[in-house]
Amino acid sequence: MRNLIYCELLKLKRSKIIPISITGVLSTPLLMLLEAVQTHYDNPEFVFTLSDVYNSSILYTMLLTNMMVYVAIASFLFSREYTESTLKTILPIPVSRTKLLFGKFCSLLLWIVTLNIVTWAGIYVVCGIYHAVFTLKEYSLLVAIEWFPKFLLGGILMFLTTSPFVFAAGITKGFVAPMIGSAVIVMGSAALANQEWGALYPWTATFFLVQGKIESTGYPTALSLGIIFMLSAVGFFMTYHHFKREDLK
Amino acid sequence: MEFIIETNNLTKRYGTVTVVDKVSLHVPKGKIYGLLGRNGAGKTTAMKMMLKLTFPTDGTVRLFGKDYKDNETAIYNKIGSIIETPGFYGNLTGYENLYILARLRGQLCKNAVLNALEIVGLHEEKRKIFADYSLGMKQRLGIAAALMHDPELLILDEPINGLDPIGISEIRSFLSKLSHDNGITIFISSHVLNEIEQIADIIGVMHKGRLIEEFDIAEPHKRNRKYIQFDLSDGHAAAEILENHYQITDFTVHDNTLKIYDFSHSIGDINRDFALNGLLVTKINTSEENLEEYFTKLIGGGGIA
Repeated sequence: MRNLIYCELLKLKRSKIIPISITGVLSTPLLMLLEAVQTHYDNPEFVFTLSDVYNSSILYTMLLTNMMVYVAIASFLFSREYTESTLKTILPIPVSRTKLLFGKFCSLLLWIVTLNIVTWAGIYVVCGIYHAVFTLKEYSLLVAIEWFPKFLLGGILMFLTTSPFVFAAGITKGFVAPMIGSAVIVMGSAALANQEWGALYPWTATFFLVQGKIESTGYPTALSLGIIFMLSAVGFFMTYHHFKREDLK
Repeated sequence: MEFIIETNNLTKRYGTVTVVDKVSLHVPKGKIYGLLGRNGAGKTTAMKMMLKLTFPTDGTVRLFGKDYKDNETAIYNKIGSIIETPGFYGNLTGYENLYILARLRGQLCKNAVLNALEIVGLHEEKRKIFADYSLGMKQRLGIAAALMHDPELLILDEPINGLDPIGISEIRSFLSKLSHDNGITIFISSHVLNEIEQIADIIGVMHKGRLIEEFDIAEPHKRNRKYIQFDLSDGHAAAEILENHYQITDFTVHDNTLKIYDFSHSIGDINRDFALNGLLVTKINTSEENLEEYFTKLIGGGGIA
């Protein structure tokens, strides 16, 4: 399995999707910086802290920009084996389809968590720039580290909700369907981000869980978790079932 | 005889379309088996089923004397393959692509990768990105990937596609050498008769999903079929005379041209009988039917395209 994950990572060497995905997830810190500068000029008396910035950034990270980036990389990881016709080279080695799939999901998890960490670090850096120019209250590494586990947890939960898109990528063997799906999902997330029903919608439930807001929606945490795990399990199972039985044409 | 590949009634259907229809072929150990057929004959699908890329609807595949589902790792570690145009990662170099395959196989010796690249003449291009390779180079890298782990069986689907004439000649010589010097069994498909004819020991012919002929190329009567040709006034009457008077059945009649492949009777006797039965013979000659003509006749149409 270690070999499989190593090879999955090696496959990404020189791949344009790496700088594209990093640029994509760094848009969140950039948006936070723009928002902070705008707030500074519009309401100079308004005082906000590094924690406030991280708190706002979770919404962008989990519901908007990062989610679309993660759907794109999930689609890329799985569909490229079809578009580059590499499965017919790899499978007869032999590599078990189950192990190959598992290796890909592990790499996806690793990549998503890494990108969430990049976002977390990016926010710390842009807040440092803001702090140097305008002064940001409570700007310290210790505060940033307090937010680190939330970004890790957020990454894991977001990974769980990508499995249906992986299935779509496997079925359509491309980016288009998953990306259209992700746009729909993001629209839904934006609509439900402030609604109690958001606790029942897997892609906003992850956000509520990380923010610790589930209880305030009136729904039990176990229900939100159950919905996320159910969605994830269905996505994994359908992907596995399809890939395991698929004839390569 | 020990068979490295043996299929029994191998069948693949997509919906109502039968792509491979009850194919039972036999590839003996140490031989080069050429699978010949027109585009769409079912060669690639048959090979994909042997490599578990596609699942059979019916029938069995035995590799190295065992069912191909038993002990897959041991069986497939002894096989190198190319199916159609080889697929590699465009963002990686030739070396990195082969290195990934070696890692996945558990073959950690870097020399194996370099040796394979050297064999196919790509050692000086090892740092070139695969996306920048020419079609011929891609094909060579596919051959290197197939050979890298010293396989006992090579399954090669149209491996010379995209190669220039010199490259084709080199690969042909190399495959012959591999088989004859190292005892590697090679199962190779092509729609180009000349390529198969020059290296294969055994030829299988597929047409519309079915294996319609399987024979040893050394059999002279198959390779070059000699015949006596009569041009006469009534071909069908002549056919009756052959069957009734001489019990000859190995002949063909087309219009008023009769071709007899059975040399067990004297041409003079047959000619005299035709004349005594009122047939006017305008031409007699002996001729040879080459392999290409034979296959054209076998699979119909205007040749193997």
